[in-house]
Amino acid sequence: MGQYDALLKPLRIKGLTIRNRVLSTGHAPGYAAGGRVTERYVRYQEEKAKGGVGLTQFGGATATSIENSIDYGQLNGATDDIIPDYRRMAEAIHRHGAACMVQIRHGGRRERWDIANWLPAFAPSPMREPVHRSFPVAMDGRDIARVRADYARAAWRAKEGGLDGVEVSCANQTLIDQFWSPDVNRRADEYGGSLENRMRFGLEVLGEVRALVGPDFVVGIRMSGDEMIKSGLGHEDCIEVARAYARSGLIDFVNVMAAQGRDYRSNALSYIGMDAALAPYLHLASAIKAEIDLPVFHATRLADVATAARAVADGHIDMAGMTRALIADPHLVNKLREDRVDDIRQCVGAVYCIDRVLQAKDALCIQNAATGRERTLPHAVAKAEGRVRIVVIGAGPAGLEAARVSALRGHDVVLFEREERTGGQVNIAARAGWRESLSGIPRWLDGQVRKLGVDLRLGKEAQVTDVLGENPDIVVIAAGGRPNPGFFKGAELATTTWDILTGRVAPGERVLVYDDNGAEPAPSAADYMAERGSKVEVATPDRQLMAELGMVNFPPFLRRLYAKGVVISPDLGLIELRREGNGLVAVLRNEFTFEEEEREVDQVVAEHGTLANEALFDALKPHAVNFGELDMRALVAGRAQAIAANPSGRFRLFRVGDAWTSRNIHAAIHDSLRLCKDF
Amino acid sequence: MIALLLSIALATGAVLACWRARRWSVGRSAPVAVLRGALRLPRGYFHDVHDVVSRDRYAARMHVLAAGGFVGAVLLVFAVHLFGAAWPPLVWLLMVFLFAMALGALYVLARRWPKAEARLSKGSFQRLPWSLLAFALFFFWASLPQAGAPPIDWGAPLAWAMFALGVWGAAEMIAFFPVGPMKHAFAGALHLVCHPRSGRFGAARPDSALRALDLSAPRLGAETPADFSWNQLLGFDACVQCGRCEAVCPAFAAELPLNPKKLIQDLARAMDGTGTDARYAGSPHPGREIGRARGGPRAVLIGVDAMIHPDTLWACTTCRACVYECPMLIEHVDAVVHLRRFQALERGAVPGKAPHVLAELRETDNPGGHALSSRLDWAADLSLPILAEGGECDVLLWLGEGAFDLRNQRTLRALVRLMRRAGIDFAVLGEAELDSGDLARRLGDEAIFQSLAQRNVAILDRRAFSRIVTADPHVFHSLRNEYPAFGGEYTVLHHTTFLAELLEAGKLAPRAKPEGKIAYHDPCYLARYNGEIAAPRAVLDAIGAERVEMDRSGMRAMCCGGGGGAPVTDVAGKRRIPDLRMDQARATGASVLAVACPNCANMLEGVTGARPDVTDIAELLDRATEGP
Repeated sequence: MGQYDALLKPLRIKGLTIRNRVLSTGHAPGYAAGGRVTERYVRYQEEKAKGGVGLTQFGGATATSIENSIDYGQLNGATDDIIPDYRRMAEAIHRHGAACMVQIRHGGRRERWDIANWLPAFAPSPMREPVHRSFPVAMDGRDIARVRADYARAAWRAKEGGLDGVEVSCANQTLIDQFWSPDVNRRADEYGGSLENRMRFGLEVLGEVRALVGPDFVVGIRMSGDEMIKSGLGHEDCIEVARAYARSGLIDFVNVMAAQGRDYRSNALSYIGMDAALAPYLHLASAIKAEIDLPVFHATRLADVATAARAVADGHIDMAGMTRALIADPHLVNKLREDRVDDIRQCVGAVYCIDRVLQAKDALCIQNAATGRERTLPHAVAKAEGRVRIVVIGAGPAGLEAARVSALRGHDVVLFEREERTGGQVNIAARAGWRESLSGIPRWLDGQVRKLGVDLRLGKEAQVTDVLGENPDIVVIAAGGRPNPGFFKGAELATTTWDILTGRVAPGERVLVYDDNGAEPAPSAADYMAERGSKVEVATPDRQLMAELGMVNFPPFLRRLYAKGVVISPDLGLIELRREGNGLVAVLRNEFTFEEEEREVDQVVAEHGTLANEALFDALKPHAVNFGELDMRALVAGRAQAIAANPSGRFRLFRVGDAWTSRNIHAAIHDSLRLCKDF
Repeated sequence: MIALLLSIALATGAVLACWRARRWSVGRSAPVAVLRGALRLPRGYFHDVHDVVSRDRYAARMHVLAAGGFVGAVLLVFAVHLFGAAWPPLVWLLMVFLFAMALGALYVLARRWPKAEARLSKGSFQRLPWSLLAFALFFFWASLPQAGAPPIDWGAPLAWAMFALGVWGAAEMIAFFPVGPMKHAFAGALHLVCHPRSGRFGAARPDSALRALDLSAPRLGAETPADFSWNQLLGFDACVQCGRCEAVCPAFAAELPLNPKKLIQDLARAMDGTGTDARYAGSPHPGREIGRARGGPRAVLIGVDAMIHPDTLWACTTCRACVYECPMLIEHVDAVVHLRRFQALERGAVPGKAPHVLAELRETDNPGGHALSSRLDWAADLSLPILAEGGECDVLLWLGEGAFDLRNQRTLRALVRLMRRAGIDFAVLGEAELDSGDLARRLGDEAIFQSLAQRNVAILDRRAFSRIVTADPHVFHSLRNEYPAFGGEYTVLHHTTFLAELLEAGKLAPRAKPEGKIAYHDPCYLARYNGEIAAPRAVLDAIGAERVEMDRSGMRAMCCGGGGGAPVTDVAGKRRIPDLRMDQARATGASVLAVACPNCANMLEGVTGARPDVTDIAELLDRATEGP
């Protein structure tokens, strides 16, 4: 038996044969528009099918009812208009041999009333939900009957649309699990009180679904294995629910996840990232599998094929949900089949994808810029017609990606890196203990460029003569940036987040961290120092700390900072820093009253992003055909660069990533893929 | 004087020949068409033997001169010196033969002195050039008077010296002809006449099928030399110890404890009353010292302290390179399998993982112990048509054990895509397909093989198809060559032959040329076992591949190490066979090593370090014919 055999075994559910055990669970990447399927959405799902996935469940939380608000770019499954969209999706996925299902749900109180149709949210009891902040209508008998029929009709549309099945979501606080959970269901009628009563609504829904779709159509549920709040359903309760629903004979599979979606903390637990070990909730699914006779699906940090294969081989689960792993690499199964496991780009658990969706943006992968951009960017870079010589400066994520893509194009690539190792700023970010997984991003890229035969020159800071000496046709500057404490008076007295995280400067005893960025560096440094005993206050001029991060990414930071007694002070700008005695005095100003206050500390760590390293770029400009100018229209349109303003130019010159300006890992990788794919 | 010498030598030779032949009589009886064999002798020698000999040009020239000279000379020596036919032209002719013989002796000398080639055995063979020379020189001198020179003065010291030379020459070349180094000619000629595989002469394709074993026989396989047929024993005695087998044996090259020459010598020496290998003067089985083997005509052959160590027996990959190179037409692989049959069927003494694999075969009908229903797991998304009982299709695609293996599922997927692209009406057996039995048979478990073969034949007989196509040369060989003995006569094609046909017929149109150089590794069971070396190359040429050949290719290709159950018996050597083979592939500068066998794919892909990609021909053709 090969190591991965279990993952590649087909699974039969009724008349459906799923070709292998790799599953993409229902999620909303935010690619739908107006509740409808788009070309982008189809291509995104089709790429998974092309890449070998067994089953893909699209349409994460497709609406069942007219009052659903569709606030994260979901599909609207509440009208028959969706049926042709389903057909289009099914055709694209089936073409490559994968199976597909849609996930449907009514969001209950987890909906907004002030978008879509301006209808209120409905729930078992009129309790406000912390994330959507709606006050729902407590459902009466007629509401219940109407919503049951809506569910059935929505499931029927999936069947009409040629899908292989439907998953009724009862997880993350949909209406059904709101009925289940004593935390939310405070009813005194036959739908509240005992667990049996609380389970009633969901069973009635599934009964109507089954009645409408018939006995052969595959219907499953997604549910939590433990709500992870004291007032909610515990693990034993969830097992009891699974047992009862399985016993009903109405469903064909159970898809198990963890926690629920009632608030920020819970969301972050459900979609837990690099702050958890691999397969953190496998035991929850395994316990349910032990109790029921139906196939059990499960996702959450089954980030690599070895973990997923073991989970299946050891009998914990039947389908391995590798949703984020497939976002990082939709061709994961094909690479596994081709014995190219090392070529699989592995999810690092940065939750950039989900975080963006929960910020009402589109889902993107921190490290794979092609995901969700299948129309314009390739997952498999094809060879170019000709062969040119390309010099890349800097082996951070931007430079590594530029080298990888250029090498895949078939070009000769020389990659200069000043440090003795590749990775650039990611190496610094990964120094914050629990964020070590980030180093997986450059590690994979490093492995790929070496395998592709890129001429990697480590420990070599390239000078103009080095570049000219290579006789390049194209030069890509990916030299990154240098830390910038900011532009306030006395900024030179500040320590940078890099100084702290690299260990170059020891953390002080009393520290003010000043975050004028909003992303991860400042909270990482604060956490790092608090961990080492510093008394830390983090001030920011933003409305809240980590304004750039979404509700899956900021909770683990906040949990850590609060637990270590870090004081968080929003709405304060740092206007001056001066030395006084042995210490420093920081002058902070309230953003709204302009009132000033002072802090006496040992150390001020100021974060203001990076300043681009442009010296080499500037020095090379006169030698460049394009004087270093980028045709951004061509770049965005996906056309090759063609500026040729300098008749005596010897090569074309570009810059990517933070060497252009301070952004993030995704931007760096995206810059390079988008530019270099046309070399 | 000379007539007396010749008479004594001849008489001694005749006695020794009878004594020698008695050794073989311990063997089992075997039906031999002696007359047909005798009539076949000239063609057998000048065609079959010479084909092999002439692959080494030097040896061929040497043998034509020495052997041709000797045969001509000895006949004329008897005519002239024993029967007094002193007609001058006859004498001159004799002297020409003797001259040729002396020239041949110098060839022999040159490759043995001062230092013999590594593959050659030394010992008494080192005397051979000198005894040839002595014989030639003496009779040349002794014939001078008949050619017109003055008569010999037998009183002169020179005459006595020459006579001494003559006695030695006649003793070596005539008296000890059946037992000394010249034994190879004596036993070799008889072996040609009484060869156990008469089917190999004048056959269009290699006679490589193992003979079915009668499972009701009182003893299965060979425990002692007496369990071989007498003409097999004769074959062992024919060995001239030229070491051509040793030079091509993959196990020997990787320093596994097997030297095929020594194996045959072990079998030959076991026939001696006091069987020992002490006087064997060639290369040993790597890692084993000479002089410890003990045996006899009715003594156990296989054992730690017997004539042949079990590791030697199980190191063989059954690649048939030795058989293909043997100028004496000895059938090493038949001997190995016959010995293994006793070990497997009578003693249950199969080593390594082989007992486990055989148990799985017995219990589950496949060596991996998979549920047969999972043979199509890899194709869950391909909706392969299943050929049910009573069903009909054009091509029956036999999937083989590769269907359970990730690496070879890629080959099968490519093959399925190609068949669909070419519009072939094909189907698979699905869970009805059992293992072909090849592995069990090579491991000596004939009972499992026969059971699988009989049941597969029954399964196939209940279905209608025009031919079977398989991507596994082991399956191909079993079904094509070994199933007829069990009533299964089918048209069986290896996938490369089939694909070459599709290209020829224009049903597949290559559009993309592969990049870089491609070397093709011939699978033993396709090339040496079945003679198919053209079709795979035709496919590569059709896709415009820049094809390069390894030093050893075609019928003389080197084994990957994956045949004969070697991967499961797993006898250790100094190196791994596939590593050696991959070195040969690397030396061509190829970026792709094309294969056409699931075993080869796995063995060669298991080689670590920088190496060419290992890709099946079906995969290459699939890529080349993929639509836009």
